[in-house]
Parts: sequence; C-alpha cells; structure tokens
Amino acid sequence: MSLRETTESLEELAAQSNLITTKPSSQWRLALRRFRQRKSGMIGLFIVSSLVVMAVFAPLIAPYHPNEVLIGKEEVGPRDPPCVHLFGCDEATPQHILGTDGNVRDEFSRVVFGSRVSLTLGFFTVTIALLIGSLLGALAGYTGGWFDNVIMRIMDVILGFPSLLLAIAIVAVLGPGLENALIAIAIVTIPAYARVMRAQVLSIKESDYVSASLALGAAPRQILWRRVVPNALTPLVVLATLGIATAILEAAGLSFLGLGAQPPTAEWGSMLASERNQLFTAPHLVFFPGLAIMITVLGFNLMGDGLRDALDPTLNR
Amino acid sequence: MLGFITRRTLLAIPVLIGIVIVVFLLVRAIPGDPCTAMLGERATEEACDRFNEANGLDEPIWTQLTIYMGNVVTFDLGESVRFSRPVNQLLIERLPLTIELALSALTIAVVVGVPLGIISARRHNTAVDTATMAFANVGVSMPVFWLGLMLAYLFAVVFKDTPFALPPSGRLTAGVFSTPYYEAWGWTLQEGFWAKYHEFVGNHYIFNAVITRDWTVLNDAVRHMILPAVALATIPLAIIARITRSSLLEVMGKDYIRTARAKGANEQRVVRRHALRNAMLPVVTIIGLQMGLLLGGAVLTETVFNLAGVGRALFDAITGRDYAVVQGFTVVVAAGYVVVNLLVDLSYGYLDPRIRVK
Amino acid sequence: MTLTKRLLALLFVFALVAAACGGDDDDTGDTAAETTEAAAETTTTAAAGDAETTTTAAEAMDDFEGLVLDAGGCDYGGRVEKISALDEHTVEFDLCGPHPAFLAQIAFIVFGIQPAEYLEATGGAPIDNPIGTGPYTLQEWVRGDSVVFQRFDDYYGQVAPHQTAVLRWATESAGRLLELQSGVASGMTFPGPEDYATIEADANLSLLDKPEPNIFYMGFTDIFAPFDDVRVRQAISLAMDRQRIIDTFYPPGSEVASHFTPCSVEFGCEGESWPDQDVAAAQALLAEAGFPDGFSTSIFYRDVTRGYLPTPGNVAADIQAQLKETLNIDAEVVQMESAEFIQQCSSAGQCDGIHLLGWTGDYPHVTNFLDFHFGEGVTQFGNGHPEIHEALTEASQTADPAVAQPLYETANNAIRDLVPMIPIAHAGSAFVAGSNVNGAYAPPWGQVLFNYWDNGTDTMVFVQGNEPISLYCADESDGESLRACAQVVEGLYSYSQSGEVQPQLATECVPNEDLSLWTCSLRNDVVFHDGSTLDANDVVVSFTAGLDAASPLHTGNSGAFDYYSYLWNGLINAEG
Repeated sequence: MSLRETTESLEELAAQSNLITTKPSSQWRLALRRFRQRKSGMIGLFIVSSLVVMAVFAPLIAPYHPNEVLIGKEEVGPRDPPCVHLFGCDEATPQHILGTDGNVRDEFSRVVFGSRVSLTLGFFTVTIALLIGSLLGALAGYTGGWFDNVIMRIMDVILGFPSLLLAIAIVAVLGPGLENALIAIAIVTIPAYARVMRAQVLSIKESDYVSASLALGAAPRQILWRRVVPNALTPLVVLATLGIATAILEAAGLSFLGLGAQPPTAEWGSMLASERNQLFTAPHLVFFPGLAIMITVLGFNLMGDGLRDALDPTLNR
Repeated sequence: MLGFITRRTLLAIPVLIGIVIVVFLLVRAIPGDPCTAMLGERATEEACDRFNEANGLDEPIWTQLTIYMGNVVTFDLGESVRFSRPVNQLLIERLPLTIELALSALTIAVVVGVPLGIISARRHNTAVDTATMAFANVGVSMPVFWLGLMLAYLFAVVFKDTPFALPPSGRLTAGVFSTPYYEAWGWTLQEGFWAKYHEFVGNHYIFNAVITRDWTVLNDAVRHMILPAVALATIPLAIIARITRSSLLEVMGKDYIRTARAKGANEQRVVRRHALRNAMLPVVTIIGLQMGLLLGGAVLTETVFNLAGVGRALFDAITGRDYAVVQGFTVVVAAGYVVVNLLVDLSYGYLDPRIRVK
Repeated sequence: MTLTKRLLALLFVFALVAAACGGDDDDTGDTAAETTEAAAETTTTAAAGDAETTTTAAEAMDDFEGLVLDAGGCDYGGRVEKISALDEHTVEFDLCGPHPAFLAQIAFIVFGIQPAEYLEATGGAPIDNPIGTGPYTLQEWVRGDSVVFQRFDDYYGQVAPHQTAVLRWATESAGRLLELQSGVASGMTFPGPEDYATIEADANLSLLDKPEPNIFYMGFTDIFAPFDDVRVRQAISLAMDRQRIIDTFYPPGSEVASHFTPCSVEFGCEGESWPDQDVAAAQALLAEAGFPDGFSTSIFYRDVTRGYLPTPGNVAADIQAQLKETLNIDAEVVQMESAEFIQQCSSAGQCDGIHLLGWTGDYPHVTNFLDFHFGEGVTQFGNGHPEIHEALTEASQTADPAVAQPLYETANNAIRDLVPMIPIAHAGSAFVAGSNVNGAYAPPWGQVLFNYWDNGTDTMVFVQGNEPISLYCADESDGESLRACAQVVEGLYSYSQSGEVQPQLATECVPNEDLSLWTCSLRNDVVFHDGSTLDANDVVVSFTAGLDAASPLHTGNSGAFDYYSYLWNGLINAEG
C-alpha cells in the first residue's frame, strides 16, 4: 500500500543514482552493512525467512493435510475452539492448536499451508510486474518521443483507478481464481516499475558518461547492461520487496470478496471470508488467518524499508 | 499560476478519456452476452435483436464507444437492469454514504496521523518514536477487512452493554430515519435536476443531521460511522504519520532551520513557523494519494459493515453483470479520484512555487 | 373465425352472463370510467398482435363492466382458458382441465391483487410502490437499508398493534442475531445452525420452529458428459454420506431426505426410499461407466443462505471433499452470483457440473415440488425423463386421490432410478423472536405477517437475509421480496398461521364437479390503500398483467413472471 509513495521517492533516487561512482560490488557490501544495523529491517528479514521456512517445510510442520476433513476420524466437530494440551486442554480431546474450521479441518495446518499460497503469489506477481514494467519503462525512456508518451499515458490511466477496483474489474473479465487474481494485481502494479525504470534510463541517457561512450562507439545495448541495469537494480529491489507486501494484501482482499483463491485451497483471505459469518461464535477462525496475513505483510514491509534505508542513506532517515 | 492550473487540468483530460475507454472495453470483455444477461437465457433471437438495437449494441464497437462517450459527457449513465432504475439514481442513493465514509476516514487519518508524525519526529529516537513507528508499520500491514471484523467483534460483542458498545452494521438504527433538509424545511421541490441534487445532498446523513439540527440522527449516524471509518482510516493514518515524521526530520536538518535556531528563536517557533510548512508538502501529496486507497478499501469496508455504498454496489454489479452500473460507477469513482489528485497537484503548486515552473 | 367476429361473440356472451348474474351493487362512476379505459386499451393491443386472446368489457345492466381474460382456447398449453369478472364481486376461473391444487395455488402471494387502475397507471410495473389491501401501506423503500411500512387503519382484518413496521436485512445470520440481541429488532429469519444453542440459552429470545417443507439437493444436467450416463449419477448418489452433511451443517430438526418431497406433503413420499450410502457399489458403478479413476467437474452454488441450505460454502466444500475421498472426483467449487446461478443452472439448465440448489414449498401440494422440477419441458436436469413426467402430468389432472397415489409412487421410483438429482436434506428451520413479542409465529407456508407481532412499542423491526429485488411480487420469486409484498398485497386466498389454505379477499371459491371451473365470491368490505374499493375487475386485471404476455401491463421488473408461467403451465400469448 505504501507502494505509490515509494515509487515517487524512488523515481527521484533513480534520477540521481548515475552519480554513484563506486563499483557496484562495494556499493552492495556497504548497503549490506547498513542493512544489518537497522533493527526493523532485520526483524523483517527474520519474519520473512521464518515464513519461507514454514512454507517449504509445511508438510513437516502441519499435523494434518490442509484439506483433510476430520469428520468420523476424530472426536471433533466444526468450529471447535483451539485446544492446546500444554495450556490445560483436556488430554482426551485431540489437539488442534488453532481449533477446527467449519468443515472440520485443522485450522493450524491450513494456516501453515496458506503461507505457500501467499508467498508464491506475492513472488510471482512481483516478478511479472517487475519484468513487464521495467521493460516498458526502459523502452519508453530509451526511445522517447511518441512511444514514450503513449506508454506513460497508459500507465497514468492505470494509476488513475483505485488499484483494488481495477483489480476487481480485471478478475471479473478473466474469471475468479488465484491465477487470475495474480495477473490482475500484476497489471495494476506495472506502472510503478515502469516509472522507476524510465526515470533511471532518462537520467543515464543524459549523463556525460553515456555521451562519451556513444561518441567512442559503444553499443547502446552495452550501455544498457553495464550502466542502466545495475543502477536501476537498487530502487527496483526496494520496490519489489514492498510490492510483495502490497500484492499479498490485495490478493487477500480479492479472496475475501470471493474472487481469488477458490475452495478448498487454504488461502488466508478466503479462509477468513468463509468463516466471517461465524465471527461472533468462532472468532478464532477469523482472527488467525488475518493475523497471518498481517505478520507476512509486516515482514515484507519492514524488510523493504530496511533495504531502502540501506541502499540510499539520503532517503527516509 | 493560471497557466499552471490550465496545464495540469488539460493533462488530466486524456487520463479521464483513457479511463472511460478502459472501463468500456473491460466491461465489454466481461464474459457473457449482455442480452441474455439482461433478458434471460430464454430470450428469443428477435427479442435480443430488439434489445441490441435499442441499446445500440448492434453498432460496431467504435460507434458504441463514441455513443457511450457522448452519454458520459451528458451525464447519462444508462439504466441498471437489476434495479430497473437509472444509474444516476443509484449514485444519488449510494455515493453519499461512500463519500461520508471516505471523508470520515480521511479526517481521522489526518487528525491523528499528522500529530503522531510530528510528535515522533520531535522525540526522534525515543521510546515514543519507536512505539509510533512500530504502530505505523503494523498499521500499513493490516488487512482492512480483518481489522473491520476485529473491531466489530470488540465493540459489538466484548463491549456489549458497556458505554463503549458500537453498532457493527448499517447506517442508522432501524426506526431512526433521516429527514432530508428540504423536507424538514418544508421546501417543495420540482422534478428535475435540482430535486436530484437536493436528494443527493440530503443523503449525506451526517451533514444533513447537522444542518437540520437533528441531534438524534446525528448521534446515531456518527455512532454507526465510527467503526467502518476507523477500520478504513488505519492504513492511511499509518502512512501519513510516517511521511510526516520523515519529512519533518529532513526539513529540521536543513540549513535555514539551523539558521533560525542560531538566531536564538525558540524551538516551538522554529518548528511551527519554519519547519512544519515546508514539511507539509509531501504530506499533502500523500493525503491525495490515499483517496485511491480509501475508495478501494471502501469495497471491503462496506462489505464487512453491511453498508450500501458505491463500493459494495460496484462489487455486486460486477458479479451480477449489471453492465451499466459497472461502467457508470467505475467511471465516476475513477473520475473522482483523478479530480482529487488534480486538486492535490494544484495545491502542491500553490504551496511550493518551484513546482509551477517545472 | 376472424377476430372481429370473436369479439362480437364474446361481447354477446358477456352481456348474457352479466345479465343473468345481475349486479346488485352500484359502484361509483369514477372507477368504472377508468376501468373502461383500461379495458379499451387492453383490447386494442390484443387485436393488434397475432393474439389468441381478447380482454374485453361487457355492457351490464348497471355500471359494472366485467373484464375478461380469454386465452381463446387451450391450444397454447396452459391451464387457464378464461378468467372473467361475472359481476362486481364474482370472478370465474375457467381452466383447461381439473386442477385440484387450485386453492393452494392462488393463495400464493405472487397472485396478489392490486387495483386495476393502479396497474394501468404504472404501466404494469409498480415495482417499488405496490398498492394492496393488506395490513400495511408501504411508506418507503430506503434502498440498501430497509423497507418501511405504516399500519393501514382501514384494514378489514386484524389491524397492526404498532404504527410502523420495518423490514431490514443482513446477509449473515450472525448479523441478524446481533440486531436481535441488541434489542433493535423483534424478529429474524433463519438463525445459523451454530447459534441455536445461544438462542435457547438466552432468556430474551425465543426460537420459533418453522416446519417448512423443503429440500436441498445436488442436481445434474444430463446433457453434459459424464452426467449423461445414469451410472455416473447413481454412483455419486451411492457415494455420498448424506448423514454426515446433516450432522455437521444442519440445525436440529433436519433429516436425511428419503424422497424429493417431504413426507408432510400429501403423496410426497410414495414409493421406495432413497438408497443408503454404499461406497463399494458406487466405485464399481463409476468404473463400469468408464471412470475408474474419477474425473474432473465443477460444483456450482450460490452463497445465499436459505432454510434448506444454512451454510452454502461449507456444504459445497464438504461435498467436494466427499467426492474426492470416495470416487476420486476432482470437483472445482464455483460460487456464482445468485441471479446468474438461478438463471444458468436452474432456468436454462446450462451448468455442466453438479449444482447445489434447494426448494422451499410455495403451497402445500406435491405438484409444487415434483412438477416444478421434473414436469415436462423442465430443462434444469437436462432432457427430462418421460418415465417421470408422464406420470406427473397424469396425476396432476386427476381429481381422484386414489388414482393419483399410484402415479406419484411411479414418479418417485423413477426419480430414484434415474437420479436427475440427489436429495440430501429436509432442513429444520426457524425464526427467532424477542421474548417480549406477543403473537410471534413462523408459518410453514406463505409469509409471516407482521400485524400479528406485538412487541408493545410503536415500531416493530424484522430482519431477513437480503434486500427485496422488487416489491411487485407477480414478477418475483425470492422469499425476501415475497415477505415484503405480503405485508401490503393480498390474494384471493392465503395461508393461515399453521399453513392451512383460507379465504382472504374471496369469501370462498367453489369448484364444479371435475374441479376445472372455479367461481370465487369476493368480500365486499375491502378497500385498497388508495381508497378505491376491491372489485372483480381488479382480480382479472391483476391476473392479466401476470398471465397475458401480450398485455401492455405485462411489464414487471425483469418481465419473466416465472411463477405465472410455471404454475399455470405457461403464459398466454407467449412468444416462441
């Protein structure tokens, strides 16, 4: 959600970054040191890596398959409250540390497996948006003229919509489902990457270094790879990290409206949505999936902020 | 200055046209035949032909687009099939709620967010600062629908029978009715544009209750608005607090502030007279950008709190393939968003003369 | 016979009939004049079209000119041949064949009566401002929020104890319950199964058992593979653990369905019971049909809570899980928007998977369950089966229960063998009322009327699941709209609180010997909310608006008039 504010500041950063004269490798080393010093960034990194571990080892961590219906297999009913033996829950009742859901499935297992869905979705959305966005931005900046104008006006139009509304409309066209939600969110976030990349290319194009290289006969493609890409990487990495947070949040919103993940997929937004009617009788089924979304988004946000501070010390003290 | 305003306004026009085109094409791309969606599967071919002709759907798509653009310019947004009523009428009924919700949320976000950011900057690197920023970080990461549900649970169930209890759904308690000001004041309205205009204005219950001094309705409407507005405000609030803080910190490090301090001006005065005004520039931009967030979030908030605003209606219209409503509402919402951003741009130019020349 | 000739003949017949009956009332000239206008207009349109019908006026001895809706014979396939206003307070329904369920059917609120002049004035679309004879007048429909009713002080029946009744809605049962718990509302529909215990423990609330005959089923449309193979349908039927669904997702009082129609309806459960679960047999059948490893399909449903389906999402997910567990069928759960779902899966029969739908009886007759779903020409389950619908058609036309009984047995057994759908549950359902409400009730048939609910204050609030679609119920079919309409509009008959058919606007309707001609006498003390007096022409025009597709009054909200078309076997002058 803080994506747009970041885009603006990163555009500025991109415009200035051609002044950096140090070699990229030492620049990254410096940044890494600065990142380590930021407490919040490290917390973010910790949260994100824990989530990745949880997603990778989900089958080992979760006591049940996320879609396993326990009717007739155990003495549990739908929407049983959490039962943790350690905290005094009767040993005779089977342990479900986050309770069971409306279809008598283990809520904890579903929350654990939900991390897979959210992380994959966040990662792929951002990758798609990053690739398309920066390609468009680079082309627009490099070519200039009417092409630049057309591309950037299209980007303006996309930015002209409240992003969730546009995403809803796109999903309506493509049909509900996780993949389509992913595509919709990617489309909505493309302009952010395009604008940052374009600013980068423009600033480099105008620099003395490029004029000199071109005069010396260097191929434009060489310049693109040697200069533009490494310099653009900094703002794009920051943007992408924060973008994952936004994507996860918006995907959860779409799922909450029934447009994202479809049952029985254990996705946090749809888990929460399907039990929202039971808010007053089984609040745990609304609380835990929501908490999971919040922690995940928080992790990426903190990490993104930390990265931004580390990569550009002049920004956001 | 005039030139600046003109330039900015003209720049917004292609964006608006683009929005209408995108909406038009998106709606045409929604799967399903409008005729069968509107007349039912059993509609005969003849009936469909008649329907298509009546709605201009037999024309080539570009002609249709031209017609639609013409209609939009003349504020003719068509008729909802599901409600058998003009889209304009639905907007008159639903938009005021969303406007009140968004404005309430924005007010909360600004009134709480800006001071929070200032305090945090003034007490840089203290426990207050850390706590505020931790809160802000959690705030931006909060799914609005989850927060809404949690608030509903807390204030409607946990605090039930206490003075803190707040209603978790609806706009007014059943049995409480908002009397539009024109009725309260005994006006007789002629049919036509102004009647619709007054109906629209009168549907802003909070505003209407204030001007008609109907304190019962005001109290009830405000109590119903608190939870959704707080839920919707949280993310913008956190963002505004963060931007205010960082912007103020940056300005405080600038030379002219040092000069002012060196001159021996008292700290309060330095902050208020010199730093704040300059620090507010990025904050104003961010506030404008939050409108998009608020309008998007309104879909979720209205769903959670069972409110009949445009957000919810738009979602229902998309799932129900009520094309005219989807088109009309999206265009209006997006246009509103563009206009707000335009105003922000303009005020930005006003606050910072350098922008005008850029 | 040319149209003109027929018109003349009709006029002549009418003059005779009217003269024979002899009106004894001298009604005001005002109404009569307007009625003439209405009649004239209707006639013109009928003559302009290629219509087989004519609505016309006959000159009677006094001021009253009785209108007629005439289908011009029975060739169009429908049930109604002619509806005529014989005199000011007598209406005759001339039907194409015996219709034992006639009274139960006209008691249904979609056949409510509105003033003829008013239907004219609104062009047959009083969709948000109906005028009726009921206990309440409509004050305002605050879109998105509530429908507000005011007591009708001139009501001939029990006048409401409160001045204002408010109908609100909240999709979530938890939201409705909260309004009751907070004391805002006095009554609500369908509490969630998980809330029964809470309600029973709360001294401020009382649970009203609603013995509503309903059915929840899994339907197949057999024009789509693999459901075109009866073995596939039978296999799924045998594989389902229906008891598990009832135990987990249904409130107390629900039972596994032995037949499509509940046993409380006469002839409902003739024939053998539905077979019990037998997973091995199911797997064998599916393998025999060529799918030993299952297949992929979709489960379509809508997220709308009904008495027969309290938690749609959970039930859909459980059926999905069961299909996977027992037959390795991969079913994608597809949630559809309500209107579209009904359109696609039920009306059009275009859903190429399993659709989850149910039915709540509209009137207490087995035809309302069986004929509506399995009658001839119904495409919901695909091509239909003569084994089923032939028996149903025959049964529906007999006046003799002894003849009907074996026919229903045949039909039910055919359903069991051919499995167009799998009956899952007859759900127990309930309303909730505040315990301070006197006279609260939940009727098995028809709609609850708020004028019996006395909460001791001037305002009575009732919360249901959704907003009405429109308030002109001739063209609506959802319970939410019907509940709102019933407060304002009444039909010739109605249902009592316990569900018996009782006279309402009619004092009685008397059939001839073979139940094909029904003569209804109207009450003479009934006024509409606009002050006009109810007469027989209002009845004819109200039926014309719904039943005659060529009438200028046949407008409505969507114009579908589903119930007129279904319950009278098709509209008059329907195209195609």
